[in-house]
Amino acid sequence: MANTYPRQAGESAASLKPARKRGRGRVTPYLFIFPWIVGFLVFTLGPLLFSLVISLFDWPIVGQVHFIGFGNYTEMFTQDPLFWKSFGITLKFAAIFVPLNIIVAMGLAILLNQSTRGNAFFRTAFYLPSVISGVALAMIWSWVYSGEYGILNFFLSLVGVQGPDWLNDTRWSLVAMVLASLWGQGAMMLIFLAGLKGIPKDLYESASIDGAGTLRRFVSITVPMLSPTILFNLITSIIAAFQQLTLALVLTGGGPMKSTYFYAMYMYENAFKYFRMGYSAANAWFMFLIVLGLSFLVFKSSEAWVFYEGEMKRKPKRNARRRSG
Amino acid sequence: MRKKSSMLVLVSAMSVSLLAGCGGNNDGAQPSATASSSGGTSAASKTIRFATWDTGDALKIEQDIAKKFEQDHPGTKVQVEAYADGFDQKLAAGFGATNPPDVMYMWDFPTYHQSLEPLDSYASQDASLNMDDFYSGLFNYGKIDDKLYGIPVGFTTRVVYYNKKLFDAAQVPYPKDGWTWSDFQDISKKLTDKAQKQYGFGVRASNDTYDLQGFVWSNGSSFISDDGKTIDGYMNSKETAESIQMFGDLVKNGSAVLVGGKGQQSGEDIFKAGKLAMWESGIWPLESFKAAGIDVGTVEMPAFPGKPVKGVIAESALSIAKDSKQKELAWEFIKYYASDEAIKMRTADLPVRVSVVNELKKDQDPLYKPFYTMLERSDNTPAFLLNAKWNEVNRQLSAAVEAVVHGSVAQDALNEAVKDSQRFLK
Repeated sequence: MANTYPRQAGESAASLKPARKRGRGRVTPYLFIFPWIVGFLVFTLGPLLFSLVISLFDWPIVGQVHFIGFGNYTEMFTQDPLFWKSFGITLKFAAIFVPLNIIVAMGLAILLNQSTRGNAFFRTAFYLPSVISGVALAMIWSWVYSGEYGILNFFLSLVGVQGPDWLNDTRWSLVAMVLASLWGQGAMMLIFLAGLKGIPKDLYESASIDGAGTLRRFVSITVPMLSPTILFNLITSIIAAFQQLTLALVLTGGGPMKSTYFYAMYMYENAFKYFRMGYSAANAWFMFLIVLGLSFLVFKSSEAWVFYEGEMKRKPKRNARRRSG
Repeated sequence: MRKKSSMLVLVSAMSVSLLAGCGGNNDGAQPSATASSSGGTSAASKTIRFATWDTGDALKIEQDIAKKFEQDHPGTKVQVEAYADGFDQKLAAGFGATNPPDVMYMWDFPTYHQSLEPLDSYASQDASLNMDDFYSGLFNYGKIDDKLYGIPVGFTTRVVYYNKKLFDAAQVPYPKDGWTWSDFQDISKKLTDKAQKQYGFGVRASNDTYDLQGFVWSNGSSFISDDGKTIDGYMNSKETAESIQMFGDLVKNGSAVLVGGKGQQSGEDIFKAGKLAMWESGIWPLESFKAAGIDVGTVEMPAFPGKPVKGVIAESALSIAKDSKQKELAWEFIKYYASDEAIKMRTADLPVRVSVVNELKKDQDPLYKPFYTMLERSDNTPAFLLNAKWNEVNRQLSAAVEAVVHGSVAQDALNEAVKDSQRFLK
């Protein structure tokens, strides 16, 4: 008795436990993430949806709010030249920045992937700029670019080039923005580096045995094996390019003559300089749709150029397809 | 992307700690709540919040005035909130959240008047304010639809500063009242010596169009019609274009330098360095010019041939928020701020009271005299008081002016600005 009773109790408890666990299991995880869900609903999804509502109103901070339907949208499409101008500048910026960003980040990652001495040092050195916050970064670049005292023009003068007044010259200001934006991209470089590390060495070895040169190995092994990483970085780059605000705000203020007046800045000024909350919300939703559309296009196109060879799941499928074909 | 997601994490983490604070730790939260409310309600000490856009020395003076007020009114505390460059954003956010400062600096009455307390009854019932002692016309800047929303506390007109040493060195006589813009252009050309990096005049890379109105009025035009309904034929009139083009031409023909762009020195800095012969501004930089050891002179604005010179007043006023819970105390503070004692402490702008000017003999001082001459010439109404949507029209106008000083043709740029602004004038 003395032995069996506790055992029985233990047994019954043990047999009960899984059932209770299963019941509670549905709730407990949610309880753990409850604060984050609340945070997401209150601080992200709520405002996000509310901005859609706002975009249908003439909504100044001070004064009366009026419902105007799609008035904000028709105004920006048909009456506001600044809307198109700033959108054009952003497109131009993205068109230059995104490819360069991918190329430079991938180039750096490939260099760091070589087993040379001091690798850890360079890895840290190249990553360091991304630790600096956006505003501080912009302040640094404002000194670098200074026409008279800037270090960039000093270096250019050493090779006999008279540098422009970068931030006050409409021909160079956008280039200056691209260069400064390219600088803080350590994160992207690291992602590429991780991707490179994931490529099995034997692929390169067998390719070399077959007589493939460096270029051939890069084009036929590195690029395809890295393509999922490229896809990810491409999409984040596009989003980052469209959201570029800090640099424009601090470095050039959108000038000179609106040559760096990015869409995000146009939106920001509509909201916080001219206090047209509704109009600005409409601007934001347009940008959201554009970014969504571009991301969708990239995803669609990725079927043609992204290879998930590294993933075990896909391998048999492809083989099967090949066999049937 | 990374920054975004980490922000999200941070925000949610903060909300967690907030929620935790609310849910589990009630007794911990209570004392702080009572502490903050006691500051506002208890009879022992009353706090009013006072928002200013000033920084540096001007802010220091304002804090001193606030301290003086606290001494004269035991049991009150004036919390000076220096909003600096973010003034409009912070103020608008305060109004939006119905938690504005009680008293604030104000100039843009058309934008904010709906959130401000009308002050007519305060002013008329309170003889100690002595409204007749103010320079006439200053009150007009704080009136919307004949209601008074702000009490003027400081103002300035604009003059031309000149560096006597540079004039002497080039044996050019000092400019005198009654000079014309062609005199101005000649002098500017003569005093420019690019080899020495010395310029006759500095043109701002981005101008506040408000300040340019004096030139436009002097040439017999304006940015907007007197009824505030039309800009076509005003903002892009031949005379307006001519007066803006003048500054573009000065830069183009090399007799002036573009100043104050990104990473560039401001005109004030170059003037202080003794490399600028003439500079156009309000009273603000005068003390710093003297402190920099520049032998500075002032002269009223040049005239367009055959037309009277007109000036523009930059005025700062104090207003009370409609949502303020301590309007009486706020009014006391404003009254003190506009009193002889406080006005004398404020050296960064011109006294608003005639009695103070007479007492200090400010208008006898040759450096100050042109400011008062310009005051007599400032009887036009600035554009922002004539149209509630002016801020947005001005966005196009500012872009046009910036284009002109960077080399565009004024008439074309202004025509464009008028076209792009029409939608705000319906």
